[in-house]
Amino acid sequence: MSSANAQLFAALVTGPLRHAAGRTLLAVVVIALGVALGLGVTLVNRSAASEVSLAARSLFGLSDLVVQGTNAGFDEALFPVLARLPEVALANPVVDVQVRVVGRQTALSAMGIDFFRAARMQPSIGVEAPRTNLSPLAADSVFLSPAAARDLGLEEGDQLTVQVGLEPVSFHVAGILPAAAYRQRAMVLDIGTAQWRLGQLGKLQRVELRLRSGTSTEAVQRRIAAMLPPGVSVTTPGAETDEALRLTRAYRSNLTALALVALFTGAFLVHSTQSLAVIRRRREFALLKAMGVSAREQIASTLAGGAIVGGAGALCGVGLGILIADLGLNAFGADLGAGYFRGIAPALKVDWLDAGVFFLLGTAAAIAGTLRPAIAAARVPAALALKAGDLEDPAVRGNTIAGLALWGFAGVLLLLPAVDGLPLAGYSAIALVLIGAVFLMPAVTRLLLRLLPSVRSVPLQIATAHLRGTARQATTSLSAILVSFSLMVAMAVMVTSFRTSLDQWLEKILPADLYLRAGFTSETAFLDANDVTALAALPEVERVDANRFAQLAVTGLKTPLGLIARPITEQNAGRMLWIESTATNVALPDAQPVWISEAAADLLSLRSGAVFTGSIGERAVQFSVRGVYRDYERQNGGVVIDHDAYVRLTGDLRTNAAWLWLKPGADVDHLVNSIHERLPGLAEFDVRRPGEIRAITLRVFDRTFAVTYLLEIIAVGIGLAGIAASTSAQVIARRAELGVLRHVGLLRRQVGFMLAAEGGLLGAVGVLAGLVIGSVVSLILIYVVNRQSFHWSMDVYFPWVLLMAFSVSLVAAAALTAVWSGRLSLRDDIIRAVKEDW
Amino acid sequence: MAAMPRLSSLFLATCATLLTVALLVSALAAAAEYPPVVRGQVLAFPADEGSHPQYRIEWWYVTGWLQDESGQSRGFQVTFFRNRPGLDEGNPSQFAARQLLFAHAAISDPAVGRLLHDERVARAGFGLAEATAGSTDVVLEDWSLRQDGQTYHVNIPGKDFQLALDLVATQLPLLQGDAGFSQKGPDQGSASHYYSQPQMAVSGRISAGGREFAVQGTAWFDHEWSSTLLDDAAQGWDWLGINLIDGGALMAFRMRDAEGHAHWAAASTRRGSGAAAVTSAYRPEQIEWLPERQWRSPRTGIEYPVEWRLRVGDTWYQVRPLFDDQESDSRRSTGTIYWEGAVELLDATGAVAGRGYLELTGYGTRLRM
Amino acid sequence: MLTLRQVRKSFPGPDPARPRPVLAEVSLALEPGDYIAVMGESGVGKSTLLNLIAGLDVPDSGDVLLEGQSLAALDDDARTLLRRRRMGFVFQAFHLLPHLTVAGNVGLPLALNGMAGTHADDRINELLEAVGLRDRRDSFPKELSGGEMQRVAVARALVHRPAVVLADEPTGNLDPESAAQVLELLRAQLKRDGSIGILVTHSAVAAATTDRVYLLTRQGLQLQSGTTTPRQE
Repeated sequence: MSSANAQLFAALVTGPLRHAAGRTLLAVVVIALGVALGLGVTLVNRSAASEVSLAARSLFGLSDLVVQGTNAGFDEALFPVLARLPEVALANPVVDVQVRVVGRQTALSAMGIDFFRAARMQPSIGVEAPRTNLSPLAADSVFLSPAAARDLGLEEGDQLTVQVGLEPVSFHVAGILPAAAYRQRAMVLDIGTAQWRLGQLGKLQRVELRLRSGTSTEAVQRRIAAMLPPGVSVTTPGAETDEALRLTRAYRSNLTALALVALFTGAFLVHSTQSLAVIRRRREFALLKAMGVSAREQIASTLAGGAIVGGAGALCGVGLGILIADLGLNAFGADLGAGYFRGIAPALKVDWLDAGVFFLLGTAAAIAGTLRPAIAAARVPAALALKAGDLEDPAVRGNTIAGLALWGFAGVLLLLPAVDGLPLAGYSAIALVLIGAVFLMPAVTRLLLRLLPSVRSVPLQIATAHLRGTARQATTSLSAILVSFSLMVAMAVMVTSFRTSLDQWLEKILPADLYLRAGFTSETAFLDANDVTALAALPEVERVDANRFAQLAVTGLKTPLGLIARPITEQNAGRMLWIESTATNVALPDAQPVWISEAAADLLSLRSGAVFTGSIGERAVQFSVRGVYRDYERQNGGVVIDHDAYVRLTGDLRTNAAWLWLKPGADVDHLVNSIHERLPGLAEFDVRRPGEIRAITLRVFDRTFAVTYLLEIIAVGIGLAGIAASTSAQVIARRAELGVLRHVGLLRRQVGFMLAAEGGLLGAVGVLAGLVIGSVVSLILIYVVNRQSFHWSMDVYFPWVLLMAFSVSLVAAAALTAVWSGRLSLRDDIIRAVKEDW
Repeated sequence: MAAMPRLSSLFLATCATLLTVALLVSALAAAAEYPPVVRGQVLAFPADEGSHPQYRIEWWYVTGWLQDESGQSRGFQVTFFRNRPGLDEGNPSQFAARQLLFAHAAISDPAVGRLLHDERVARAGFGLAEATAGSTDVVLEDWSLRQDGQTYHVNIPGKDFQLALDLVATQLPLLQGDAGFSQKGPDQGSASHYYSQPQMAVSGRISAGGREFAVQGTAWFDHEWSSTLLDDAAQGWDWLGINLIDGGALMAFRMRDAEGHAHWAAASTRRGSGAAAVTSAYRPEQIEWLPERQWRSPRTGIEYPVEWRLRVGDTWYQVRPLFDDQESDSRRSTGTIYWEGAVELLDATGAVAGRGYLELTGYGTRLRM
Repeated sequence: MLTLRQVRKSFPGPDPARPRPVLAEVSLALEPGDYIAVMGESGVGKSTLLNLIAGLDVPDSGDVLLEGQSLAALDDDARTLLRRRRMGFVFQAFHLLPHLTVAGNVGLPLALNGMAGTHADDRINELLEAVGLRDRRDSFPKELSGGEMQRVAVARALVHRPAVVLADEPTGNLDPESAAQVLELLRAQLKRDGSIGILVTHSAVAAATTDRVYLLTRQGLQLQSGTTTPRQE
């Protein structure tokens, strides 16, 4: 760059940025925040995803194919058949069940493996010889994954007791596996031991296959698929990993979308600061134009300024984002508190491609925010601007029509289905609604201000007059707060709707007086028929309903559906399930009546009254859908079947949860206290009242959304920064005007009040618009985004008190922000501003 | 002593340190009932050629020299090893590790200049890995040693080489020690049941280095089972099994203590063949192992006496390796390093009197047992 | 009645120990209806003098008294209220509030003094009539020419019948014709209400429209006794 060019660059690009150092800094900070949040969440997601992949890979080792059944497992006789296939170089049988750790509210994966075969499938399993005198093959030896050892606080040589049925089974920790071997929270033991001591005799959950080199994986997969019994499928480890990720993808993408809101808001903020700068610098632009700077050069220099701001902000944001991700991972875990990835503990993985993308996004957001102001600057009519001291961009353009058009387009997008399980059209519609709202704001602001009653207070009159006079400019500064507050309202409505729906749903599906639950570890922790009988025989108990949790495999579904067996009939289904729709036809006599969850209905594309075939264990059964119910519990789909029918089909008499109905007048507290005394075998089970279950569930729910709230508050903070930026910019531009007001006798506090009124009114307009727009967005979230992401419906509830509190706080914050940004005007030297020449 | 090579094969064949070490530790500590090895127990054929699952350890061991069509000589070694860990034998699971099987195989090719070897390990079960009683029939996935009358089929599809050999017995089994009772130390409690099949005629195919050869040759076959094999004093051993050119056989071993002195030794010879064959067994004091030449492994730095002068009774022999570097380095899997290779036996005149295998263990560190 | 008694004012210079003196002992006594001009070189302290009179600044020593009230004795709020009631201002750059109409700008001092309704409207109309802008009552400043804006400013300065009107170079931004018109209006309105007028200007032509002309120098304020010769601007 020649020195002349450097000078020009300094004059056109860096000079103005330096001149308005405070606002430049603010724009940098906002872009940095947006980039940081987006990148932070993405990195956490990436680390979680990569951890899930690694975990899956560590699970499946070097296998080419995985033959898998439901939790209940399949007959081990399949193993030698698979092992003998000529294409199979190595078959690795695995018993894989969840066990409950006695004395802890926690479960572990128990992997029964053949060390000899597993070591060949997965060389990283080669563990150190135990220092203690234990054989890995001994029936009391287990090895812990590092994650499990850390969680349980156990070391080599310690004792670990898990629960199988009602029996505690004790093991010695023979060693800790290398980190590369199993990333999950897992205990690893000999397969023979696992079958024997974990009640899995004759069963396998999985056989991993390595194929001879030169064989076609697809061909072998087809061949194996043809010989598998019902309920057993063959997949590739890649597909398994994908499946593990798919389960959480909706959640992760929602979080990313939310994080991007900060960047979105930041772009609007850059837009408003740049727009204000353009207005402030009209004369400067006109002068430059008069001196021969072309429109193109003018636009380029303004955009270059935006790019510098964006680049600087994005760079800081990348650093900050990595920091945020690291802190977030440590503080909240891989899913930022949502509880999806209980079993894994990922380390931060910085993906520089992500960092690069977010750097570009941040820069692009700043440039995009600068585009319109840049064009406006280039269009400044030189002669007029040089002559008049006019602040306002006189023409109000046809933004209203553009805004309405965007809303129309958003409406069309809402009709589109999910793309690959993600509600992309829904997100786009939300973005369009917000941008459209920003376009419509000047018209709306004018309308609202016109509705304001006239008042005696001079400061208020001046404030109103000022806002009326600068509606376009004012609403420009409002766009960031509008966008962020709309989203805050939307999230508040959505979360409240969800929470209230969940609460009511919980009330509905917990009709009994007391719940006794063996945990989520359905294959090893259970009550047998005798235990249920013993419970029913307690004097306070009128009736016990046995619940069995199993799995139902359906051809074409990668993950089995959750199967819940409980006493249920077509007559009483509505009393225990939240029924969304009921079959109107009569069930075929040879089809088993079941109720399926909304997620299952979506996954299987089934409606009430439909018939489908699935397998329980290795038995194929025809089912008739008697109803579709709302289920917030099993995101992968659930199926409810009558318990007697389940026992008839499977002979499985185990029970995972018992529902207790008590006799009238029975003392629940007394019963809770005495159950463990009278039935010591049940000592390890959770006995809970419906109220406790609801409380725990809602606590988990709130934790899940904690991060969401945090992201929203940051976005609103950015919006407030927008008000601060515009007020402080205007205060500088209005120095002379404020000086005159002090001359003619406005008290210092009256000037302050005037600024507060301006900020507050502006904030109020933003809040009003935000309430309306936010409600619209919340409906999109509830009816489109959530429905498509998580397959559950909810009823809409408006948190009026919360919204009022939000609104009042925001108006107050806007007023305070305005006063704070305008504090300059309260100083004495503002008086001298009347002498300042233009 | 043929017992020792098979034991070293155990170490070789285990795939992970943890398994071997812990297995043996626990095996020693195990409360399982193993039958004792008692003098005077008559070996019955072919029943005793099969597996003896009650005993703690057992192995089938084949070594020999092969010539391809161009006359090139190579050594080969194949071992199948069975172990009864004696752990939790009440476990009804089909996967319970009631019997473990190991296999190790190697080719000594002077053109390669070092051993090619591979190994397998598995628990017995599901017909995928089994050692059958009644006749020699040991399967470890795709590796197998199967008896069919007088013929043994060896099938070893290894990683770097393959062996597909038929071994035909040309003589009656040679019962080692006292009618098959082979004492391994001063104490009678350390002993095994042990018989050999020398002078087996070998034919078949081997492939190595991407080339396949039709081969012929002579092999030595051992079968040994025991519950209590080694005594505490043993630091390592030297073992030799030779098919003599004249149709006879020579087996000799000695146990070394920590100072490197022999604290037990035994040998046997068979002279002549058929009904006229004369078998002699030798006491420790009748046997002398004199190292002639040391070879230092460039990989491990361990020195092995690869050439020997050996006295059995009144006869002196010279033992000379096919080539020096026949070291088996299994430190990564078992922590064991030993030397096991093809050797020639020279008589006092310096003429080749026989060919077979020599095993030298415990020269680096004490063999862990 | 406006009295300046030996007013001194210094501003901090580059050396904090040696403040830069701006006004050295200025004394002045004006009766209602007096209309004077203050002339002087740039930087001699004319604006400082106006600020001291307006109570926007306080002297280092000496005092300013308006209708017997010492400004130095008042706090900032009291001085502001005094300004609101008893003073009017005309600026070189007009400084109309851009988003208030002509009537709104003129009526601002009335509104601040709590006067509203038809009474206020009448007074506004009266002033607008006087400055010849009755028909531009509902225009916004940006729709006016410079001369018109300054006439609105004059109306605003006088609408609440202040005791003192301070005009700081009111014709600096105007063409000679508009300037003459504004000066004439200012003088006429001052005389009509009997207000004291202080006109700070570089323009001898403007100064000539006042009763007396003072020259502000480093030494103080000297009466030029109306004999100044016109100077080329």
